[in-house]
Amino acid sequence: MKKRNVILNIFSVIILLLFIWYADKNFDSYKIRVLNLCAIYVILGLSMNLINGFTGLFSLGHAGFMAVGAYTTALLTMSPAAKAQTFFLEPIISPLDKITLPFFIALIMGGILSGLVAFLIGAPTLRLKGDYLAIATLGFSEIIRIIFTNTQTITNGPLGLKSIPNSTNLWWSYGMMLFTLAFIIALIKSSYGKAFKAIREDEIAAESMGINLFKHKSMAFVIGAFFAGIGGGLLGNLLGAINPNMFRSILTFNVLLIIVLGGMGSITGTVLSAFVVTAGLEYLRFLDETINLGFIKIPGVAGLRMVVFSALLMIVVIFFRNGLMGNNEFDWDKFFNFFQRKSLRKKEAQES
Amino acid sequence: MTILKTDEITMKFGGLTAVKEFNLGINKGEIVALIGPNGAGKTTAFNMITGVYRPTEGKIKFDGEDITGIKPHDITKGGMARTFQNIRLFKDLSVLDNVFIANHLHLKSNIAEATWGKIQPILASPLSVFKSEKSSFLNKLLSRETNYQREEREVNERAHMLLEKVGLVDLKDEKASSLSYGLQRKLEIARALATNPKVLLLDEPAAGMNPKETNDLTEFIREIREDFDLTIFLIEHHMQVVMDISDRIYVLDHGETIAEGDPYDIQNNDRVIQAYLGVAEDA
Repeated sequence: MKKRNVILNIFSVIILLLFIWYADKNFDSYKIRVLNLCAIYVILGLSMNLINGFTGLFSLGHAGFMAVGAYTTALLTMSPAAKAQTFFLEPIISPLDKITLPFFIALIMGGILSGLVAFLIGAPTLRLKGDYLAIATLGFSEIIRIIFTNTQTITNGPLGLKSIPNSTNLWWSYGMMLFTLAFIIALIKSSYGKAFKAIREDEIAAESMGINLFKHKSMAFVIGAFFAGIGGGLLGNLLGAINPNMFRSILTFNVLLIIVLGGMGSITGTVLSAFVVTAGLEYLRFLDETINLGFIKIPGVAGLRMVVFSALLMIVVIFFRNGLMGNNEFDWDKFFNFFQRKSLRKKEAQES
Repeated sequence: MTILKTDEITMKFGGLTAVKEFNLGINKGEIVALIGPNGAGKTTAFNMITGVYRPTEGKIKFDGEDITGIKPHDITKGGMARTFQNIRLFKDLSVLDNVFIANHLHLKSNIAEATWGKIQPILASPLSVFKSEKSSFLNKLLSRETNYQREEREVNERAHMLLEKVGLVDLKDEKASSLSYGLQRKLEIARALATNPKVLLLDEPAAGMNPKETNDLTEFIREIREDFDLTIFLIEHHMQVVMDISDRIYVLDHGETIAEGDPYDIQNNDRVIQAYLGVAEDA
């Protein structure tokens, strides 16, 4: 790595940390929540991009993995008193009612359990291809949700969990975001990441080059689910209350929207579009309320802001087939080359 | 010594018998060709040998072991590599990555070691800027070459060597799909060689090549046989290439083996001539 790039990297991380420190102290709780959500959606987007964008598996099971992570983390961090209060219909089963673990350990446990579920789901479904895999994983994600709705003594059924400690703060979410980012970038650049891409490009050729398809697909699937579980855990402990209905397939499509807009197979694109989509959905909230244009009054339509994103998605799919970034990644050299070329062109224009 | 042997392999797709009781025996170091009119079952025979299809009947022996029904990636690991009739490169990846990936099967590091091998330089980069002379524990941990990094360096060296061999080293950062047709064929062969095979199967290597490229290819195939100590089994329609380089030839027609022998025998075999040209009506 060039020295200049290293210094710039360090500099950007320091600026990010300073910003978090400042935001943590001065922003109101609404802005902090949106910033948290942005980081969580970056984690979710990266994990889904690993499965869908880099390995080329069309999986729609993300909401299920998030549910596993969110419930695990929440149940392991709630205090015994809070659990007793929440489970008023039927008490929670034995060991779970006493256990309270530190947030970080609970989060990792959530990720691991989610990865384990992915491993079990992957065994039958990863033999399928394309649309069939999408339908199967979507089905499994719904099965997870329905199981959670019916296991009253573990998940409190449709009532959901309340008074989950608000452990997620900017430090946790951005810390986990940086960890996920570093991990996925390193993984993608390694020999295994290249094998994943080979599977995306051509399964038959990849298999003929000695890549064990099932093993590598499982690895990508499990690692993706692990980070989806962590994202879910952060989300649950950010919101403070979760219920099975939160984890409908619409949640999967929100994440899918992010990676399609950003570019399947681009980490930079995922990060950018996670921020744009999450912040945009909040910013466009005024569309759902009554809009007074002075001469005309548009009554509030709930969900109108989603229409904006549907339109945006259509535009992207039609005009930018590969999303905003395609397969490209940000790097400092390209960044400076871009400006140099621009200034060169200006000079040439002036001279001529 | 027979390195690849098939024992009466048959492939049926429903009612259609694509290949019937095909007996093949290839000795170490030979160049053997499989020819026949379109639809004769040549590629099907290839797919059975490389594990893409499981033969309906019969056995395949490779290097003394029964490989019938084994998965393609395991067969490749055992030392058999192939190219495809319609080029199947990893189109969006660079030329170097295409060859790099073919080395992945020999990688000993697991996924955690590989990921750490890539994270470590990122963590170590700040240290390189603030160079400290002290050899602290952290410094040692972050500057030592891990097993994965050594493996990756070796793979890169090998990939460069192979690309030099096929004359693609200057194009190593180009996308595979941006290469010309002839170069894509060469890259596919380089990629197959990267798996370190004992037997190389080429499916119509000269297809779509001009006469000059075809001549180069013949030379190239001879060269790699010497350099990599290979046994080569190829399907080809280009008779000049076939007659020029093969030690022995098998001829398939409608799934049946109608002839086998050296190029001279095949050229003078009546059944082969009939299969290619048909029977004269007034004969």
